[in-house]
Amino acid sequence: MEINCRDKTTREINRLLRESIACGDNDIRVLEPDGRHNLGVGLLKPVYVVFDGSVGYYCAGMMDGANVEIRGSAGWGTAESMMNGTVVIDGNAGSGVAASIRGGTVVVRGDAAARAGVSMKGGTLLIGGNCGYMAAFMMQRGTMVVCGNAGHALADSMYEGTVFVGGEIESLGNDAVLENPTAADRKTLQKLLESYNISGPKSFRKVVSGRKLWNFDRKEIDLWKVAL
Amino acid sequence: MCGIIGFLDKTGSRPLGQTLLTMLDALSCRGPDSAGVAVFGASSPFWIVQIMLPEQEDRAGAVKKILESARDCGPVINHQVMEAFVRLEVDGTIDPVVLEETLVRRHAGLEVVSLGHSLEIVKQVGSPAGLEKAYSIGKRQGSHAIGHTRMSTESRVDLSHSQPFWAHGVPDLATVHNGHITNYHKLRRQYEQRGYRFCNENDSEVIGVYLRDRIAAGLSLADALRSSLDDFDGSFSYLAASADSLAYVKDRFGFKPLMVAETVEFVAIATEEIALRKALGRDFVSLEPAPGTLGIWTVPSKVAV
Repeated sequence: MEINCRDKTTREINRLLRESIACGDNDIRVLEPDGRHNLGVGLLKPVYVVFDGSVGYYCAGMMDGANVEIRGSAGWGTAESMMNGTVVIDGNAGSGVAASIRGGTVVVRGDAAARAGVSMKGGTLLIGGNCGYMAAFMMQRGTMVVCGNAGHALADSMYEGTVFVGGEIESLGNDAVLENPTAADRKTLQKLLESYNISGPKSFRKVVSGRKLWNFDRKEIDLWKVAL
Repeated sequence: MCGIIGFLDKTGSRPLGQTLLTMLDALSCRGPDSAGVAVFGASSPFWIVQIMLPEQEDRAGAVKKILESARDCGPVINHQVMEAFVRLEVDGTIDPVVLEETLVRRHAGLEVVSLGHSLEIVKQVGSPAGLEKAYSIGKRQGSHAIGHTRMSTESRVDLSHSQPFWAHGVPDLATVHNGHITNYHKLRRQYEQRGYRFCNENDSEVIGVYLRDRIAAGLSLADALRSSLDDFDGSFSYLAASADSLAYVKDRFGFKPLMVAETVEFVAIATEEIALRKALGRDFVSLEPAPGTLGIWTVPSKVAV
């Protein structure tokens, strides 16, 4: 099933998508997306959707269980609030990719911009290239893997959750600390990279929460002043 | 929200006006209030002066008086009345600061919207389609241009408050801004104390005043843009264009989006990729610059205009 975006509004495209899925189509190609926003939001069935080109903001947002491929680059907030499923972006991703996801996997083969993985609550974000400023900001749970370099303030105010970085980290955010990856970590990472055919570095740095900001302690008021 | 666009034609192979119009139209939902462009056309030995005519009954009379005031400063080669503007071409030996001061002092409500050897700004309240109807943007030619669609968040919706803004006092320098300069009031107070005049209450205007001040202090345009990263608070993706350059500046937190595409034929910048795709097709990759960075391109001098 093919849907061509040319001369259609976003509303029409999404309606056609929903109608196709309701009719039992579970393999849909969306042609000429050309940077439109909000494409394929609210996909709740385990269908396979390919966007043949670049998309705008919030593509595949609020998804539960579908499998989406973006054969181009994606704008801000891609896959935001995903409950389950997969989103694979061939190109680069704009700010806030995988924002607030609770499950599933988001893969960016290129680079991710600022605030990648912001407030993740589960799931996995895998970035083949670099990520920008304040990635994993306020991350609560889940796993983020960056094969390339990470920008400033990585994992600032992270609660739980883990960030693995293969390249350089420009700076760690508030209360983010380095830890040694375990053998189990290494195995999981290898499997993850292989399953998406991404060649990553041999070793990764592991970033977790220092837990100093979990509870307020008067003795640590200086740390809080810095964080706030 | 606002949308900004920039386009630099490297090889003279793209219809500048049509490209601008398509990009503006694609961003009109981001900025439904007003639309405007700053086009750099063929370089003239004269000063091209775009004057906003104040609202009044006797327009012809007002135009006559404006021409008299301009002639007091020097020869007026040509004049045209177009919708809300009077476009003058005046002798290039006239001091542009003196010309602007003379006109503004003598005619209440008058504003010089742009001045330069190649810069022309046209803007108005309404949509890009309306702008096209009034000023035939699609037919305009030039080497490069910037444009803006406005969603007013802080100040009045009228022509004076809409963008692009000319950096008063600096011929051929224009800016477009998406975001909010949060130390605008503090900066404005400081500049007014030092004698700089503001034309309206739009915070974006301070960008041009800042650049004028930094250039007067001896900085190059590139260095002035770079220092603005430290001196402006708030959210900004803004573009600056001069007679021979086009530049973008992105705030340190990456609050406002911006996409940049460069090929051998052009440099194209837009708040959203959808504008680039609509105007320029699919044969290029567009990238979002990192927060806290700027980029500047020189207009190739051999582009035939």
